[in-house]
Amino acid sequence: MIEFKNIEINYGNFAAIRNLNLEVKEGEFFTLLGPSGCGKTTTLRSLVGFVTPTSGSIFVKGADITNVPVEKREISMVFQNYALFPTMNVYENIAFGLRVKKMTKKQIDDEVRDIADKVDLNDEQLMKKVSELSGGQQQRVAIARALVLKPSILVMDEPLSNLDASLRVQLRKELKRIQKAFGITTIYVTHDQEEALTLSDRIAVFNKGIVEQAGTPYDIYNYSATEFVCNFIGDINKLAQPVLEKINLQSAKPFDLKKAAYVRTERVHTALKDTGKDFIQLKAKVVDIEYFGLYTKYAFDIDGAVIKNIEKEDGMTIYSIGDELDLYLHSSDIMQF
Amino acid sequence: MNVVDKIKGQLSSKKLIGIIIGIFLTWFIVAFLVYPNLNLLKLTFFADGRLSLEPFQKLLHSSRALKSLLHSVVLAVSLVVTVNIVGIFLVLVTDYFDIRGAKLLRLGYMTTLIYSGIVLVSGYKFIYGDHGVITNFLVQLFPSLDVTWFKGYWAVLFVMTFAVTSNHVIFLSNAIQKVDYQTIESARNMGASTFYILRRVVFPVLKPTIFAVTILLFLTGLGAVSAPIVLGGRDFQTINPMILSFGQSVTSRDMAALLAIILGVFTLLLLTVMRKIEKGGHYVSISKVKSELKKQKINNKLANAIVHAIAYLLFLIYVMPVIIIVLFSFSDSYSITTSTLSWNHFTFDNYAKLFTQASDFKPYLVSIVYSAVSAVIVVILTLVVARILHKYNHKLSTVLEYAMLIPWLLPSTLIALGLIITYDSPKLIILNNVLTGTVWILLIGYVIVQIPFTLRLLRAAFFSIDHSLEDASKNLGAGTFYTLRRVLLPIIFPSIMAVLALNFNGHLADYDLAVFLYHPLFEPLGIVIKNSSTDQVSVDAKAMVFVYSVILMIISSLTLYLVYGRKAK
Amino acid sequence: MRKPLLIVLSFVLSASLLLSGCASTNQANSGEGGQAPGKTTSADAGKDGTKSLVVYSNSLSDGRGDWLKEQALANGFKLDFVEAGGGDIANRLIAEKNNPVADVVFGLSTINYENFKEQSLLEAYKPVWASEVAEGLNDKEDYYHALVKQAIVLIYNSKLFDEKTAPKDWTDLWKKAEYHGKYDAPSTFGGGTTRAVLAGILVRYQDPNGQYGISQEGWDEIRDYLKFGYHQAEGEDFYANLASGKTPFGPMWSSGIQSREEQYGVKAGVVKPEIGVPYIVEHVAIVKGSKNLDTAKQFVDWFGSAEVQGEWAKKFSSLPANEKALEAAPKDIKDLDASLKTQQIDWQFVAKNMDKWIEKIELELLP
Repeated sequence: MIEFKNIEINYGNFAAIRNLNLEVKEGEFFTLLGPSGCGKTTTLRSLVGFVTPTSGSIFVKGADITNVPVEKREISMVFQNYALFPTMNVYENIAFGLRVKKMTKKQIDDEVRDIADKVDLNDEQLMKKVSELSGGQQQRVAIARALVLKPSILVMDEPLSNLDASLRVQLRKELKRIQKAFGITTIYVTHDQEEALTLSDRIAVFNKGIVEQAGTPYDIYNYSATEFVCNFIGDINKLAQPVLEKINLQSAKPFDLKKAAYVRTERVHTALKDTGKDFIQLKAKVVDIEYFGLYTKYAFDIDGAVIKNIEKEDGMTIYSIGDELDLYLHSSDIMQF
Repeated sequence: MNVVDKIKGQLSSKKLIGIIIGIFLTWFIVAFLVYPNLNLLKLTFFADGRLSLEPFQKLLHSSRALKSLLHSVVLAVSLVVTVNIVGIFLVLVTDYFDIRGAKLLRLGYMTTLIYSGIVLVSGYKFIYGDHGVITNFLVQLFPSLDVTWFKGYWAVLFVMTFAVTSNHVIFLSNAIQKVDYQTIESARNMGASTFYILRRVVFPVLKPTIFAVTILLFLTGLGAVSAPIVLGGRDFQTINPMILSFGQSVTSRDMAALLAIILGVFTLLLLTVMRKIEKGGHYVSISKVKSELKKQKINNKLANAIVHAIAYLLFLIYVMPVIIIVLFSFSDSYSITTSTLSWNHFTFDNYAKLFTQASDFKPYLVSIVYSAVSAVIVVILTLVVARILHKYNHKLSTVLEYAMLIPWLLPSTLIALGLIITYDSPKLIILNNVLTGTVWILLIGYVIVQIPFTLRLLRAAFFSIDHSLEDASKNLGAGTFYTLRRVLLPIIFPSIMAVLALNFNGHLADYDLAVFLYHPLFEPLGIVIKNSSTDQVSVDAKAMVFVYSVILMIISSLTLYLVYGRKAK
Repeated sequence: MRKPLLIVLSFVLSASLLLSGCASTNQANSGEGGQAPGKTTSADAGKDGTKSLVVYSNSLSDGRGDWLKEQALANGFKLDFVEAGGGDIANRLIAEKNNPVADVVFGLSTINYENFKEQSLLEAYKPVWASEVAEGLNDKEDYYHALVKQAIVLIYNSKLFDEKTAPKDWTDLWKKAEYHGKYDAPSTFGGGTTRAVLAGILVRYQDPNGQYGISQEGWDEIRDYLKFGYHQAEGEDFYANLASGKTPFGPMWSSGIQSREEQYGVKAGVVKPEIGVPYIVEHVAIVKGSKNLDTAKQFVDWFGSAEVQGEWAKKFSSLPANEKALEAAPKDIKDLDASLKTQQIDWQFVAKNMDKWIEKIELELLP
């Protein structure tokens, strides 16, 4: 459906994107994830047409669109701040693209009301000024405005970043629902890994203009391809060298002491019924406790190095600072790159 | 293939329009902003092809000219101080402090928006002049008072201080409303006093606006004509009237040009200094959740009373001339020559005359047309430029911006002179036309002098637009022009209307530029009013001045109401 | 939000339509650039046979303009006046050299017409009445022809002063302390009267070695003249000040006296210096480049005729140059004329230097 081929984008001497090759399938919810300045938004804007690649080509359905002007691409975008036109009301905002297409009044009206219905905007809200809407409603207008044109591709640039936490979670679900309902190929940009993991069919993790890894959320999380990816996704422990030395004493195959080694916090266990093969046992002391309700995060001291873990709040495992206990790690959970 | 061709075709047509606009702007800048002024310089100092210092020598021998120059500078500097004090006070009273009747006060303070120049000055003269209301009152208190007390530096400064607060009332009150109220609350929470908050929290936010307004103020002070002519008397004449009189005589034009150039040098100096000070002065509010400004109560009872008293005193000062002008417009010539008002001399004749005699009505038409057409042209021209500056940021656009700001450096007298001297004979750059003696030259003059102010406002308006709106529009399939028309222009529409109204009102009664450039058969209002207020004219004509003034104020008020009033509702 | 837009837009639109209307009338009047030749002719001969002319003059005050407009219209000329001081009118004509707006200029003085002739601003035409004018007043090359003689005199309030107590000559004004601050001195120098007064004083100190042909003594006299006089504030009127006694002395052109005496009810005394008083001759001339040349010629023929000038003299107590018209002039003015001696002035010398004098005065001598 969408194919980035050998894309390079430079701003003067600064290389924003280096040799990007990506493929997005029809109907996929594809997320570009990475810290700010990593090139994810640049990639998105090159697809939409606001940025022209320095070299390389972008194909949509096999056609090269690299030099097609923005307004001819039929790729709809939802902006970070929604970019609703302040001088128009909700209805006019949604109808904008249809008017550009010179549809008849009747057609426009039908389309606007149809899409408004689908994104849960009522008639009263349609006539409101956009400034009178809440953040969530504004987002629905932005999505409606994009979808009403029946684009082949929908792109969204951090559409949830302007909202508060609980609304963000709620709208996340709604986004997913709408995307699935329309079955539209969607490119989604975010720096929030949780959003990326929950929403996406596939994720591309960007760093400094390069795609570090592209894959399903499961693969990205469990089989991080690079040190950057494993660090960026999830909560992780970097194992200090003395700890790694201890681990090597127990492990079947030793880890390279010269490289960094990582283990995710939830893969550090305090109690195991079955301490079977390949589990490594380390003596540790509780030094800090952070209570989150849903879970508790503990910090342990192992010979001066700190390792953290999280324990599900099941009303059972409760440690206090100073408690001494054993930690268990599975050697396959230790990642080295 | 077909699609590709189509796209190519569109691209090239877009390019063509770009090239046409580029050529037009280059031509305009060269023909009207650069060439006439350079030509003037050349004619002044290189009259016979080599550098001549004769005008300098003449100037150095003229203590009168040097004194007038000094007066102009002194006036400009004094005005910067006094107008800022009064202007900031006005804005604090109407928008910051909780003052009773603030709305009424505001209306009073806004009177300078509806009349200016010679009309305003004669209004003040009828109050403080020889037979003025205030003078009569003072003479009863102090019989030894000289009735001509209201003249010279202090009189000019007094009148001009109140005459040129318009920019404060418009722009500064806008700026103060953008102060984040939370910063005030937090300052208070930390124990800061009212005055301390003003000084450390509010003023820094206003600083950029105050700077911008100050530049305009300085220029107004340097270019002052009406007030010094009427009130300056023998001891306080400024340079511009002298430039005017030299500029009209062919043999003395080099003197006029030299004096105007000196004014230009002062302006340049000021702009450089201002830029230096201004650097790093801009900052953006970091608050995401701004809260609206609430009016501050002055807790100290005495201070509160004093502020109220001053506010209403200023209100009186502002409103009295307007009232006087309105009253005198209903008076017969006897009352006008003797500055007395009474029921016995009440008459509608002046108005009847205006509407029955076409010749009396014509100046309005001329002035309205000139003001309106020049305002529209300048807005269109500046919109194009502002849009270019908004869209492109490279060396060429910077050059364009600076070129368009040239008129800011030059006193309008110099611009007028440049136009007259350059285009009094056929010049290739305007297709061998002659502009002197045509109706167009005044129109061109008005357009030129309005560019910098208009550009600054519209540029600011364009730059305040969120970039993503333009992206969004394109993304929804709209072309460049459609985006401009349906998305960008509606957003800056209020700014466009505001600047249209200000430009329109600003030139309705213009005298300074018109006196050089007007077509003798199409006398604008400013010229008629000025001529009617000088001697050797019948008293009837003097009565008509008041009628002219009143109608002028009504037109200006209507314009402002259409632009600002509706919004307030 | 929409309504004001509509209103303003329609307003602006109609305004620009008006301007284009104005512009085309202008083209009709001035025949600018020949862009509208059709219109030019249509203006030349209007619907009802009236023909339009643009007339520049400084001699339109005291109702003269209104009267002339009316009379001319009755004779088929529609006149548009541009009125200003003599110097200003001259400056304007010179500035518009390449694109003249005026068809006809009258008033001013010989100084100006000499200047115009030198800069070839005038169209030569000998009006039918040329031979009726007193000898020596017309231009020998027929570029301009005399209409009215004006004596430029120093007058005083005859209620407050008499022949004995009034000054005997202009110079008394600043040389005798009793008159200091009591006479009207000019602050602007665009007017023909002011210029004639200055000429009358300065030519007494002609000196080929002095600056601009005037000795230092002469310049000192002018400095004192301006220093010890009263300068009107904007909006003041000289004769009103004369009547009120604020400045009982000041300059006046001879034909302006009578109407002011009537208006203010104060009779003016006329100072009669031994050296004589400057006489200026007001002329009429056709502006070169006029697109209404035929009409202009017809107008000049009509306006300078003994009949019209006689009426004019009766009405505005002027002293006609046309000797046939002189018979119709009021006795008062003829008597005044007879009692005055003409000051001998080399007008060509004055014409050559006047602008420089004015510049020097404005720069250095005006207090």
